[in-house]
Amino acid sequence: SHIYKKNHDITKTWKGKSEQLLRVDDHDFTMRPAFGGPAIPVGVDVQVESLDSISEVDMDFTMTLYLRHYWKDERLSFPSTTNKSMTFDGRLVKKIWVPDVFFVHSKRSFIHDTTTDNIMLRVFPDGHVLYSMRVTVTAMCNMDFSRFPLDSQTCSLELESYAYTDEDLMLYWKNGNESLKTDEKISLSQFLIQKFHTTSRLAFYSSTGWYNRLYINFTLRRHIFFFLLQTYFPATLMVMLSWVSFWIDRRAVPARVSLGITTVLTMSTIITGVNASMPRVSYIKAVDIYLWVSFVFVFLSVLEYAAVNYLTTVQERKERKLRERFPCTCGIPHSKTMMLDGNYSESDANSLAGYTRNQMVPEEEKQEKVVVHLTMSNESNSSRKRGLKGHVGLRIIQNTHAIDKYSRLIFPGTYIFFNLIYWSVFS
Amino acid sequence: NPEVSYFFFFFKHSKREIKMRKLDSTKLRPLKSEQLLRIEDHDFALRPGFGGSPIPVGIDVQVESIDSISEVDMDFTMTLYLRHYWKDERLSFRSNKNRSMTFDGRLIKKIWVPDVFFVHSKRSFIHDTTVENIMLRVYPDGNVLFSLRITVSAMCFMDFSRFPLDTQNCSLELESYAYNEDDLMLYWKHGNKSLSTDEHISLSQFFIEEFSASSGLAFYSSTGWYNRLFINFALRRHIFFFVLQSYFPAMLMVMLSWVSFWIDRRAVPARVSLGITTVLTMSTIMTGVSASMPQVSYIKAVDVYLWISFLFVFLSVIEYAAVNYLTTVEERKQLKKRGKASGTYSIDAVQAMAFDGCFHDTDVDMDLSFSDRCEENETRARAASIPNVDTTRMKRKRSLKGNVGRIILQNNHVIDTYSRIIFPSVYIVFNFFYWGLYI
Repeated sequence: SHIYKKNHDITKTWKGKSEQLLRVDDHDFTMRPAFGGPAIPVGVDVQVESLDSISEVDMDFTMTLYLRHYWKDERLSFPSTTNKSMTFDGRLVKKIWVPDVFFVHSKRSFIHDTTTDNIMLRVFPDGHVLYSMRVTVTAMCNMDFSRFPLDSQTCSLELESYAYTDEDLMLYWKNGNESLKTDEKISLSQFLIQKFHTTSRLAFYSSTGWYNRLYINFTLRRHIFFFLLQTYFPATLMVMLSWVSFWIDRRAVPARVSLGITTVLTMSTIITGVNASMPRVSYIKAVDIYLWVSFVFVFLSVLEYAAVNYLTTVQERKERKLRERFPCTCGIPHSKTMMLDGNYSESDANSLAGYTRNQMVPEEEKQEKVVVHLTMSNESNSSRKRGLKGHVGLRIIQNTHAIDKYSRLIFPGTYIFFNLIYWSVFS
Repeated sequence: NPEVSYFFFFFKHSKREIKMRKLDSTKLRPLKSEQLLRIEDHDFALRPGFGGSPIPVGIDVQVESIDSISEVDMDFTMTLYLRHYWKDERLSFRSNKNRSMTFDGRLIKKIWVPDVFFVHSKRSFIHDTTVENIMLRVYPDGNVLFSLRITVSAMCFMDFSRFPLDTQNCSLELESYAYNEDDLMLYWKHGNKSLSTDEHISLSQFFIEEFSASSGLAFYSSTGWYNRLFINFALRRHIFFFVLQSYFPAMLMVMLSWVSFWIDRRAVPARVSLGITTVLTMSTIMTGVSASMPQVSYIKAVDVYLWISFLFVFLSVIEYAAVNYLTTVEERKQLKKRGKASGTYSIDAVQAMAFDGCFHDTDVDMDLSFSDRCEENETRARAASIPNVDTTRMKRKRSLKGNVGRIILQNNHVIDTYSRIIFPSVYIVFNFFYWGLYI
């Protein structure tokens, strides 16, 4: 009799085993609620815990979120005096039917399982189910780098049922646009998260039909500061350093050449450094434009000095030929002495630093040298006519000075103009 | 015995209950899937038509994305929806409308499914968030649609001899692991249209030229002939990134080395440091390119370009060494000649400068024996040249006669002058050949 009584007791008590309570044995988890009938609506609610990383090279993002499903399964209803829900262990999920939501375009994902599977199952007496899990998903995001690093990327995470089409399962956002919540301190080091919002659409697969798809969209705006410090500022400094060369005497050949060459080398290193952490895209990025234009400026400063030097040499040769024709003991133009020994000398070729003029210079020579010196320092047309009739050389020397003089204005002016255009276009 | 009687009573009750329960479930709709599909009778270890003709299994693939192509590992990673279609009589069920029924993915553990695997794959997995991405759909006549979402990394043999102007052909191969041609016939369900791709499938570095499906037979000596299906695709690399990263800097460095020919040859430190720094930069560019490449045993197209550019830059350094050497040799010859002629002869102040590094403001007469002290030389030279410059000219004429040295000195100018034309033109010709050959 008391065996019968025990049976009786079990059916009377409502604090029974969960499986008996939910009648899991009768529950066929392979069949959805209302199998063969109308589509079952499943509400989805998402709370984004964090955006772990955005990878440009792989073009993906990693997000950790709480994903909650809400649906009604009559088979799981149980009698209850209070209307309180009952929370069950996550392992019960294996025995009941749950929606098979997956993340479209995801590369890797997992349900956290420390210390146990992060799964919550809560059943209400009328059969409503709340099923929640904590998931980390890495999903693809097509990024457009044509304005990198002054760009904004729009990425989205897509949820869809894998097996059930529109006719079997209707996926929808439970609270419309408020279904998506984010933790208050969600932030990324390199990006500013502009907004999160939700949308939903239908997706068609030719072999399997129409599916409901839910989207979690967010826009990320990149912080420019790091790239300013890392790339733009060094490039600008290198260009400015190459302008220093115009202010150095054009007779200091090794100095100007090595200054130009070393700035070219540094620009080349900066350019290589930027592309190391970027995907190999087939279009030009905004940072590429800046670096390459700066590289061209630095390159041109080297060419400018080559032109100056070449013209000076040409001028010298002309002068030498002229001297052979017109016998005069003109002092060698000071530019020539510079090239030979690298020392700076005054315009008077006779007073070379480190070399003492001896007194054995014949008076006449000295006088003529003085005359020439005066001529050159005054740079007057008349004296030019007197001493060096038809001599174009002096004018060329004046012109090489002019190239440098003009460069001192043109290069900075053009570079500033380029900067104005660049920052106004891209900001 | 009361216990026995109660036992009997209990059994009678329970039997009635069980019978009633059974009765109730057969009456209830929806039926359990297992009863619907008669899973208990279904032996999943035996394929449909076991012992009879081979079962045809149709395959349909939708490529979701090509995640990455790795040159160093020589593989590619692809995410795809793999769908199998076959007919299993044992799973047929009665139905008034002809609608298919979709079941939870966990049911596949209890029925037979084809064992397709990816030949030459390195890693692969079925996505399992939030549940295993598996779809099972059964039609009333027993046709089954079984779909999976898989990410697979498979091997692709790449040929880099034309890198970065190359095109790679890769293929993903599907085959049944256990069942050979006599048991399972794998085929593309819709022929060439079985392969579809997501609309926005794209790679950053490559242009996907074509996706095509093909099939073949594979022979294994120990196990027989198997049907193999191929997903072939051709990838053409975008050259732009490498133009910006490697070709353009190399070209600029070569042009920079030509600047050296226009600088006065007397500026020794300048020309040498220009040449050497361009060599250093070329070397850095070359190292940068090979960092992300596998270490292959043949020469790549980009290597050809970079090494020839390096050679040009190297030659400009050698050219200046030659110019400088010939200048020095000439000086010595002229000195020796003057010694033979046993007379002073005047040389250009420039030449004197290149020779002894002292400043001379006029054409000077150089003695064979020269001392370190430039002033001494100067005084001696000046003393010798007190007669005015007219004699200088005459002296030059005198010393010019039969003096080939001076002409060679002029020719050192000539080496530079010729280089200014030869180097750029040869480089341009090389570029024509290179781009004409590879594009």
